[in-house]
Amino acid sequence: MRILFFAQLKDATRCEAVEISTSSPLTTGQLWARLMAEFPGLGAHRASVRIARNCEYVGLEATFANGDEVALIPPVSGG
Amino acid sequence: MEIEVQLTREPIAAIIPPPASGLAGAWVEFRGLVRSEENNTEISALEYEAYAGMAEREMRRLIAAVSEQQPCLAVKVVHRIGVVPVGETAVYVGVAAKHRGAAFAVLAGFMDQLKQDVPIWKRRALAGLVAVAALRPLPPPAKRLAAGPARNAPLPLETALAHIHARIPPLPAVSLPLQDAAGHVLRENLVATDDSPAADRSTRDGYAILQTDSSATFCITDTLHAADCKPRQLGPGEAVRVATGTTLPCAGLRVIMQENAERTGNQIKILRSETATNVCRHGEDWQAGDTLLAAGKVLDAGALAVLASVGCTQPRVSPQLPVLHFTTGDELVPPTTSPQPGQIRDCNSILIRALLEKQGCAVTQQHLPENFEAAQRVVASLVPPAPTFNLVLISGGAGGGDKDFTRALLEWLGFEIVFDRVNIRPGAPLVFGVNGTRIAFGLPGNPLSHFVCFHLFVAAALKRLTGAEPDGMCSGMLAGKIEDAPNARETLWPARVILENRHARLTPLRWHSSGDVTCLAAANALIRVPAESGLLPAGTEVNFLPV
Repeated sequence: MRILFFAQLKDATRCEAVEISTSSPLTTGQLWARLMAEFPGLGAHRASVRIARNCEYVGLEATFANGDEVALIPPVSGG
Repeated sequence: MEIEVQLTREPIAAIIPPPASGLAGAWVEFRGLVRSEENNTEISALEYEAYAGMAEREMRRLIAAVSEQQPCLAVKVVHRIGVVPVGETAVYVGVAAKHRGAAFAVLAGFMDQLKQDVPIWKRRALAGLVAVAALRPLPPPAKRLAAGPARNAPLPLETALAHIHARIPPLPAVSLPLQDAAGHVLRENLVATDDSPAADRSTRDGYAILQTDSSATFCITDTLHAADCKPRQLGPGEAVRVATGTTLPCAGLRVIMQENAERTGNQIKILRSETATNVCRHGEDWQAGDTLLAAGKVLDAGALAVLASVGCTQPRVSPQLPVLHFTTGDELVPPTTSPQPGQIRDCNSILIRALLEKQGCAVTQQHLPENFEAAQRVVASLVPPAPTFNLVLISGGAGGGDKDFTRALLEWLGFEIVFDRVNIRPGAPLVFGVNGTRIAFGLPGNPLSHFVCFHLFVAAALKRLTGAEPDGMCSGMLAGKIEDAPNARETLWPARVILENRHARLTPLRWHSSGDVTCLAAANALIRVPAESGLLPAGTEVNFLPV
């Protein structure tokens, strides 16, 4: 699956996107654990970040499989 | 309900017409502008970022949800991304509804939700030159997880273009008579104030009768010529002799071609029935309120004909741009001279002149000596003086010393250097400077670099100055392979593009170094080859800029 970072999360990870693969779907907790192991800087943002899967916001119960596009969405500021 | 949602890197039009359905009694518009102050700091622009696919989808979802409570007819949303200078519109929302109450409510409800849910961010505030450092590409990812490509952001090419866009204001428009306006960029929408044709008109020589009239014979009650206009209601069994172009006496008529009728005195008999009505209907070409030409259109012959037909004889257009082009390099000799060993013929001068004149610019060219003080004396003696030109181009050598000369000369002329390198090849050492509404480029000296930098950057700057629609990237397929070692820089590869079954097929042209000239004669496209691509086989989908 492809994980996309936006706005300040790009600064925290120094990249726009990473590809990760998994043998079985990841829970939200497992996904965060994988990401924070590689990008400790994400920890400070975790409480304010919402997750979108394939362009739709999902809740904490969501799981993430290979082929998904997963976006970490920090607080938005459009308009 | 009509929903239109758009993210754009371009300025949002000053006037956006309401939907033409006629059902709306209210058209409520909102524009969110970039203010000159952000967090108590003076700024020159804001940079917006979006998760484009999701942002558009979320906006549509929000509009549908909000309009469930308050029915409306149409909603149009345009949100800028990229660099938005102070004073420009960052977001535009237009809502059409039967009554104003619903339109205001939908607008307010949507804006509130937009600021909570739509993945768009104010990325950073730009304050003059500080912004240049802030906008440098982010460093590559510290690590990658498992295997797979990680994209670095932002693309250096796009960043350079964003700076050009942000630092160049469109020049004030002028009014020109039609015969002088060809090639200029229209700066205001041309909106029809009436209908055309103003009434039904015949497209044939023949006999006008009621469309529903099934009589076998008709009595001719009048004869009308092309310039006649005699409105009245026709009755059954009645025919009026008309010519091609005649304004018909009333609506709801059809015209029997004279070849298909037999006339005896004042009577006609229809010989053959026709399926065509042979009538150009009222308002068929345009109706009041239609946008006939949009601001940003380059006025060609057809567009001038439209202006003439609505009586717009002094359109507001961009002025012609005076451009000053300097060549440098003691190795250059005029094309009329046989080069001695170590010398080469100057082909950049005619290349740049032709490219600029195609864009409607008035070009002045001057060769400069390689000694800086001598060059300053030449520049100082120019008539008209250098500061009267909107655009200054310097063709320099590829070497560092020449680049310093370009920078020094531009700074001496009062230009602030915005950037001096772009992460592309060919054409990396490109200098861009601004001085108020005047701009300057230092072009790396090789002809192919000139060609690439002109089409990528100078053309974009000219379009911004003149308010023209910017060129977009197109996509197409490689007809032959690009054989190249992986390169750390993005490459703009010259190519020949043809349309085959309406698909663009691109043949890459032979190219070894930026000194190559022969490919220029065939090139009509620049293929964007991403950094580190290596070999691209035939059949690869690529993006390209038509040139």
